[in-house]
Amino acid sequence: MEITLIQGIMLAIAAIIIGIDYWLEAFFIFRPLIVSTITGAILGDVTLGLKCGALIELAFAGLTPAGGTQPPNPVLAGFMGTVLAYTTGSTPQIALGLCLPFSFLMQYVILFFYSTFSFFMGKADRAAAQADTGSLIRLNLLTMTIIALTYGVIVFLCTYVAQDAMSAFVNNLPEFITHGLEVAGGILPAVGFGMLLRVMMKAKYIPYFLAGFLMASFCVMPNLLPVALLGTVFALIDYFGAKQRKDDIDEALKNAGQGGNTHAGI
Amino acid sequence: MPESKKVLTNSDITKLGIRSSLLQASFNYERMQAGGFTWAMLPCLEKIYADDKEKLSGAMTDSLEFINTHPNFVGFLMGLLISLEEGGETRELVKGLKVALFGPIAGIGDAIFWFTLLPIVAGISCSFASQGSVLGPIIFFSVYLVVWCLRIVWTKLGYRLGTKSIDMIKENSEIIANSATILGITVIGALIASYVSITLLPVIKVDGGIKVPVQTEFFDKIMPNFLPMLYTLLMFYLLKKKQVSPVVLILGTIVLAIVCSFIGLL
Repeated sequence: MEITLIQGIMLAIAAIIIGIDYWLEAFFIFRPLIVSTITGAILGDVTLGLKCGALIELAFAGLTPAGGTQPPNPVLAGFMGTVLAYTTGSTPQIALGLCLPFSFLMQYVILFFYSTFSFFMGKADRAAAQADTGSLIRLNLLTMTIIALTYGVIVFLCTYVAQDAMSAFVNNLPEFITHGLEVAGGILPAVGFGMLLRVMMKAKYIPYFLAGFLMASFCVMPNLLPVALLGTVFALIDYFGAKQRKDDIDEALKNAGQGGNTHAGI
Repeated sequence: MPESKKVLTNSDITKLGIRSSLLQASFNYERMQAGGFTWAMLPCLEKIYADDKEKLSGAMTDSLEFINTHPNFVGFLMGLLISLEEGGETRELVKGLKVALFGPIAGIGDAIFWFTLLPIVAGISCSFASQGSVLGPIIFFSVYLVVWCLRIVWTKLGYRLGTKSIDMIKENSEIIANSATILGITVIGALIASYVSITLLPVIKVDGGIKVPVQTEFFDKIMPNFLPMLYTLLMFYLLKKKQVSPVVLILGTIVLAIVCSFIGLL
């Protein structure tokens, strides 16, 4: 299916708004689930957007900017996944594999800005020294404008301008590659979950991890809400346990602090 | 004695909470969020130091020092610091508290928002979206809209508690982060079972023309989702122990999937 010029412009405008949101991490409309749904709506196929969005969102669940590291870009993944599925007629799984180069490209563009924006800090220091608030505000607006325009231009080029080349490329891929990309689409969320585990996993959490895995493997559930509720129960058990231990320790310390041999009551 | 004069109104603090969204406006590697951090607090600082350019300059200079904290919780820190500025505390105290608190706040924010809330909300809303229901993105957006509105609540809390909040953060951040991690890790266990899919294609031919599909007759009967779990743990191991970059793992997974597709394994 073809992307019209009007649709290309609408995608670029959406990219400007969503790109700013990702830069600020404010409303979280930059997550692939939302970006793909909006893209689908602009292209006139919301269902396709929803299906691509769900798949890409989960693959990106563990790729977060926590701690100031820049992950593969979720905005471009959300746009290009849906656009590729739409223009080439691929399944969402194949589109997930195909959207990744665009996501990496944007990741490096953002990293470039992270480095170059350091040069603005000298200017900010001078503004602070003179209590020149206007200059500091203009500086922040300038960086945001650069980010916004970059998103707009890149998304317009990748979607509207490059669509013929991309669909020609995808349609000439041999069968085993497209099937391989489909298989990869099913496995890729494992990398994201591995990323989450890298930060979170400690030996003491293994029982909870297994409980969630076993529940989802053996129980038939309409969605993951029951697991989240079970996890809340685990969290509450631990929370009250930890509070209790802390109170006990405080009390023990207090008793010990009274000195002598008053060990009674512990 | 610090001179105490209340110049900020309730609506000033509400606006500060909203403006905390500007935290990353000029994000860069040298000072991280410092530029946006200062921008967000400017109106309050200008009001406090309305007739004293020198003090405004001092406050701006301190705000421009390195900071990297969690966008969703930064309002709390801003509220706290603004209450100190308004109370006429020394520059050293304001600066010292900022440096002492932005790290713990970042830690607790990452644990709650990136490692707990996102996997849960993504898991639940994607289970709707993958069936083509717009309820998925609607749930996702609503949750994050509430999270955004809570910025105002954290800001008011920080402003009201002032220095009292320091003990609160230091005492409870570990317990809360621990409970949040338990909830998150339970859900991640379930996400692996639900969203990583690896299906073996080979069919073993036994004597007498009986065909045994390896996946459905072997793995699914003994332990469903065994391969997804195994692959996720392999990713976890490579990320944690071998420090392999996630980009390498994503590309490796795609190559592996295409190779397995070529030889007919997956």
